[in-house]
Amino acid sequence: MHQTRTAAPALLAVSVLTLAACGNDGDDATGSGGGASDYPTESINLIVPYAPGGPTDLAARTIGSCLEEQLGQTVVVENREGASGSVGMQAMLAGGDDGYTLSLIAVPATATNPLQEDVGYTNEDYVPIAAVTEIPSVLAVEEGSPYEDAAAFFEYAEANPGALNVGVPGTTTSQAMELRRLAEEYGVEVTAVPFTGNAEMTTALLGGNVDAVFINASQDVLENIEAGSFTPLAVSPPEPVDYIDAPTLAESGFPELTSSVSVFGLAAPAGVPDDVVTTLEGTVEECLGQEEVRQQLGEQYVPDEFVGTDAFSERIDQIVEAYGPILQE
Amino acid sequence: MEILDGIGQGFSVALDPTNLLYVFLGVLIGTVIGVLPGLGPTATIALLLPLTYEIDPTTAIILLAGIYYGSMYGGTITSVLLQLPGEAASVVTTFDGYQMAKQGRAGPALGIAAVGSWIGGTLAVIGLTLLAPPLADLAVEFGPPEYVALTALGILLVTYLGTRHPVKSLSMAALGLLLATIGQDAITGTTRFTFDQISLFDGLDFVAVAMGLFGVGEILHNVEKTEKAQAVVGKIKNIWPSREDFRASAGPIARGSVIGFFIGVLPGGGGVISSLASYATEKRRAKDPTRFGKGAIEGVAGPETANNASSTSAFIPLLTLGIPANVVLALIFGALLIQGVTPGPQLISQNPEIFWGVIASMYIGNAMLLALNIPLVGFFVQLLRVRSGILASFALLVTMAGVFSVNNDPFDMWVVLVFGIIGWLMKKTGFEPGPLVLAFVLGSILERAFRQSMLLSGGEFSIFLTRPMSGVLFAAMALVITVSTLTALRRRRRSRPATPGEEDLAAADATAEPEGTPGAESVDRDARTPGTGERDDRA
Repeated sequence: MHQTRTAAPALLAVSVLTLAACGNDGDDATGSGGGASDYPTESINLIVPYAPGGPTDLAARTIGSCLEEQLGQTVVVENREGASGSVGMQAMLAGGDDGYTLSLIAVPATATNPLQEDVGYTNEDYVPIAAVTEIPSVLAVEEGSPYEDAAAFFEYAEANPGALNVGVPGTTTSQAMELRRLAEEYGVEVTAVPFTGNAEMTTALLGGNVDAVFINASQDVLENIEAGSFTPLAVSPPEPVDYIDAPTLAESGFPELTSSVSVFGLAAPAGVPDDVVTTLEGTVEECLGQEEVRQQLGEQYVPDEFVGTDAFSERIDQIVEAYGPILQE
Repeated sequence: MEILDGIGQGFSVALDPTNLLYVFLGVLIGTVIGVLPGLGPTATIALLLPLTYEIDPTTAIILLAGIYYGSMYGGTITSVLLQLPGEAASVVTTFDGYQMAKQGRAGPALGIAAVGSWIGGTLAVIGLTLLAPPLADLAVEFGPPEYVALTALGILLVTYLGTRHPVKSLSMAALGLLLATIGQDAITGTTRFTFDQISLFDGLDFVAVAMGLFGVGEILHNVEKTEKAQAVVGKIKNIWPSREDFRASAGPIARGSVIGFFIGVLPGGGGVISSLASYATEKRRAKDPTRFGKGAIEGVAGPETANNASSTSAFIPLLTLGIPANVVLALIFGALLIQGVTPGPQLISQNPEIFWGVIASMYIGNAMLLALNIPLVGFFVQLLRVRSGILASFALLVTMAGVFSVNNDPFDMWVVLVFGIIGWLMKKTGFEPGPLVLAFVLGSILERAFRQSMLLSGGEFSIFLTRPMSGVLFAAMALVITVSTLTALRRRRRSRPATPGEEDLAAADATAEPEGTPGAESVDRDARTPGTGERDDRA
């Protein structure tokens, strides 16, 4: 009989997992949507194409619980990671275009994946609904680096092609592609060294193994900047950001390099009814106005001006235009 | 002081009721599976891995670590009573422990093992507490070339140490490296061996591979065995060893702690290697070596202490460098990654609650184990009555449910089944899954670091030799290869019947690395010769 002793916690854990996967609060089953039609009338699946615990997961779960509150229907968040998000996109498309299967998208990856490889979807297969957070990239050096500002850094890089090693979060990331454009369009050549994430890049910079990093300015990076161990040289968005004291790349002499911004947003399969898009767009805008939601997402990452379906589509088209030629080489 | 603050914080984490419960659960499960022959810590952790995914990362690692060092205690029980090691590291205990049991001294054998394990475990945690933070500071300086050296050394040691057939291990390690290349290339982003399957873009899932090879492979292998374990001893008396026993064991326990600690830190070390090394040391130091194998308490005390010390110190490379030293740590590495925590030099500053919480939980867990083992030995022995068929079918069910829950992807279940069958076939043919899985994990780190190094140096191989740390590590590797080649050659000259695998390896390596100095030789021989020797005795 003692075997049940080892078995019990395991079985328990299995059932807990199953329950957790099946969704959280099932009690608010009634209520009508705020849109023109009566969408939604049943629970909504929100797919996160990345691992739980990451920044995309945080964005999805925060906006998911707000949607649930606003729309009065359960929002089931499901992580379907794999193939840089392609597995999750496929799962969303398989869920049908009735508006009850949505996905979080992470632009530019979502837009660039189908440009490089057959990943089972194209950029025509989904409709972006609204941006939730925008995380800029920052070019940073270690405290005490010989390059005090962007000018000094780029001057050295121009004079010594390939001599400076810059850590990037992966080869097909916007950071790596911006560095390629830096070389191709402006003749300033650095060696991009791909790492697997912020933790590894931070170690590489602090250990003096790379000269700089071009990194997502997520919370841990902001903390390092605050603590003084990172010195920011330049930021990637078209406009300066108020929480990082550095000029934009455009201001540093590279007006084209404004695309390396990670945008996490909501998307639905193409063919979804227009009123569903309108309802969701409006609800996300409402959610992003709530103080609690903004706090959870990180105040500084919520776009100052709401990015709805049209603006978001435009953003994706720009990325396809900028990176398409590089990726299809 | 930084360390004092840290360990203070650690205890506040570890003493949280939830975490206390999970330490207890961990060491209890560990002891139980240690007792059950065939279900070792690797299989258990592989099976439970997906279940840790919904709990807090600190709690998850506390649980898994508890299972690991708990199993080191549990394995002793069956080794002593049945001459059947409950898990690999306790194989050494069968030499003298079983003999003691036959002489009616099963109690003191189990008692001294529990006390020794507690001392070894606790001393190793103290070592971990003191050494890990400065090592993590040092590790920040480690760049890609150092990681190349460390992972290559790890793969090398895994195939050389602790295995009877280096050639079989080497081929498994090579297979592991090959499997690691499946998926998107980390540097250029092109896909390799994916056959246009999206499911393969990220490569094979480590958890699925490990669960298949260790979990399902082990289950299938055990089902095949029809023999049923029968406890031979009725009532165990006098668990608490006599004063004389303690006097005889003091030295072995002290030496076992030190040996275990240092071997555990080595990549590929830990477990059975540390207990073999300790056994060899005690036998050599003994005034009358012939007593060994006939119920010498030193032969139980030393190895049992060493395997516990090594299972704790094996956490050092993981927590400071992000490099798993052995397969169990590779699984724990996987558990951390699933939780979104990247183990490495930054862990101590970015996730101090994990780093210190796990360390503090080890002090508590070791104390719990001592309390559990001394009075409850008789109870644990009853576990041997569990029907293996029930255990196996249940474990298989949990495995399949568990692996699906990691990615919600049915593909992973097929991976588990395929690797389960491969694991079973490997067991039947004498190939070990350990080197395969470790090479699979280390392979992707190795490849990425190698190519990063090439980018950093502009394609100059000298980067590996000119940097002091990586230079030293590559020299160590050359030394290991030279020494083991020399030992193999010498053994052959003495025309001792070495295993055919070792001969092949010696022949293959003789031309590889000509340079080298003796020095690590004694350690190396300690780790290997007693193993083959004693196994021959038993057979």
